[in-house]
Amino acid sequence: MSRIIISIIAFCFVTNIHAAGSNTPLKKVLVDLSNKQSLQRGAQIYMNNCSGCHTLKYQRYVKFTDHLDLDSKTIEKNLIFTTDLNGERTKIGSLILNAVNETHSKEAFGVMPPDLTLTARSRGSDWIYTFLLSFYKDESRPFGANNKLYPNVNMPHVLWYLEGVKEPTDPNLTDFKYVSLGSMSHDEYESSITDLVNFLTYVSEPAQLDRYRIGFWVILFLIIFSALAYLLKVEYWKDVK
Amino acid sequence: MSKFISWIDRRLPVSNFVRNHLSQYYAPKNFNFFYFFGALAIFVFILQIVTGIFLTINYKPDADQAFASVEYIMRDVEWGWLIRYMHSTGASFFFIIIYLHMFRAMLYGSYKNPRELLWIFGMLIFVLLMAEAFMGYLLPWGQMSYWGAQVIISLFGAIPFIGESLALWIRGDYVISDATLNRFFAFHVIALPLLLFALIYLHLAALHTTGSNNPDGIEIKDNKDDSGKPLDGIPFHPYYTVKDIFGLSVFLVIFTFVVFFLPEFGGYFLEKDNFVPADPLKTPEHIVPVWYFTPFYAILRAIPDKFGGVLAMGLAIFVLFLLPWIDRCKVKSFRYRSSTYKLLLASFVISFIGLGVIGMNPATPVLTWVGRFFTLVYFGFFVALYFLSPSEQTSKVPKRVVMHE
Repeated sequence: MSRIIISIIAFCFVTNIHAAGSNTPLKKVLVDLSNKQSLQRGAQIYMNNCSGCHTLKYQRYVKFTDHLDLDSKTIEKNLIFTTDLNGERTKIGSLILNAVNETHSKEAFGVMPPDLTLTARSRGSDWIYTFLLSFYKDESRPFGANNKLYPNVNMPHVLWYLEGVKEPTDPNLTDFKYVSLGSMSHDEYESSITDLVNFLTYVSEPAQLDRYRIGFWVILFLIIFSALAYLLKVEYWKDVK
Repeated sequence: MSKFISWIDRRLPVSNFVRNHLSQYYAPKNFNFFYFFGALAIFVFILQIVTGIFLTINYKPDADQAFASVEYIMRDVEWGWLIRYMHSTGASFFFIIIYLHMFRAMLYGSYKNPRELLWIFGMLIFVLLMAEAFMGYLLPWGQMSYWGAQVIISLFGAIPFIGESLALWIRGDYVISDATLNRFFAFHVIALPLLLFALIYLHLAALHTTGSNNPDGIEIKDNKDDSGKPLDGIPFHPYYTVKDIFGLSVFLVIFTFVVFFLPEFGGYFLEKDNFVPADPLKTPEHIVPVWYFTPFYAILRAIPDKFGGVLAMGLAIFVLFLLPWIDRCKVKSFRYRSSTYKLLLASFVISFIGLGVIGMNPATPVLTWVGRFFTLVYFGFFVALYFLSPSEQTSKVPKRVVMHE
């Protein structure tokens, strides 16, 4: 019950006061950090598809043992693919860096792919969700893909093999049709992107999982304390006329 | 126990201090809701100092490491996120409290004779607090930290002749850089807190010399019983200590709700752009100061000329210092003042809030004109008050305080 009330209040306050750059309306994503399976699936998608280029350089792998219900063995076996500068396997206590250095990245993409640890806080979860659903085929771009939310972005449509490739049916980019299919249905793809966004939202602030839980008890304590403090005040003030 | 206390008392006047400032310090018995904010301000000041000490243990005032060290506090330091959110939320709540505290003084004329110095110390605290908050906001080294500081410091550049050198002197560089971060850190954690501490001491010393004003704006010292105690006064301890404990606990419910559930407060307390590390080559789309500066920022933007804007902004703060001499009405509390005054005060409050909202938004032509209108109302309040207050039609002030249940 408390969670529902909190979500409703949070929803009322947390609106985007800084509009995103493009005028494309953002699609709403339903983030649920208590869904561990979704977070785990999101981590899987991230490590398999994104971590080659994008770091999560403020987050450590080992945190997933606390928050994603994964044990160290599973993390080492399934989520860590990189080596450190000495060529040794990355340790579980390390920050999540990638294997591609800046020179190579710039050669390939013209820019260093941004770190994604805090993107869900700086741009918002809805933005990432919309961004990942907005790739379309555009032969004029170096990687053959463009993005409706972030026009001329230097990122290829990495997840095309899951989503398939869509093409605009009109120059205003209002409607699209799939020209080749991916391994997932459209619903499956959207739900996978939801998992990924869920994971990135968690990574942007791992403390969220703790603060909701602890905050409830702190406030409950303070409300009871306030009531007692009020009774004490009334007792003392009885003789003030 | 009593032997121990008398041992101490012969060497340090502890009992005397407790008598003079707590158990036999008489405060008016008719304090209302608005009188919680002084005690709350002291609480938040201490909270900021304590959480600040814990933050400096892991924070690195270095342009290359500052941003990452804040994220380190948020993730890897045990309870670091809680300390950091208490500090960031504390900053915003400090201003909410101080604004309400100042508004209380305006409602009940607490700045008037004999409390002019009390008001001036308070205003100095307010100005220092703005400097403290401004410098603290640079420390996370996010985009908004960086560009906000860039914009605000460049304002000094608008001062004729010395401006550019002054801005250079403040920054220690031609742009905001590591040098700026280091000196802001020094000011934020040592210089300004020490000054604030001294001023808060003076503020309280002045308060305890004149005694508190109250919602009726009458001096309780004018009506004493045979033993010399004010008839409308009650000892601060225990009456106001128990009352303030209740006020504090209600405040903490609200405060912790924000800390635990809305620490960003929809981008008002922690701005979205500040989750991107400072980048001197990339300007954010909208550079806006944190909410508590926006009323003054809107006044700055309302004036088409940059130096004129800086002057107007400075004047908007400076004019408040003069309030005890601008308001020449003898009656203190708004309860017994004319409806003209009430109307003036209401329009002042509306213009202040209006300017705050305008300052948060990008400057569109319409908003700029509304901002100019509110700026006129803001300054108009003081002008009108100066000329109208001496001949104001006030109602009869009661001899004794009125209790409202």
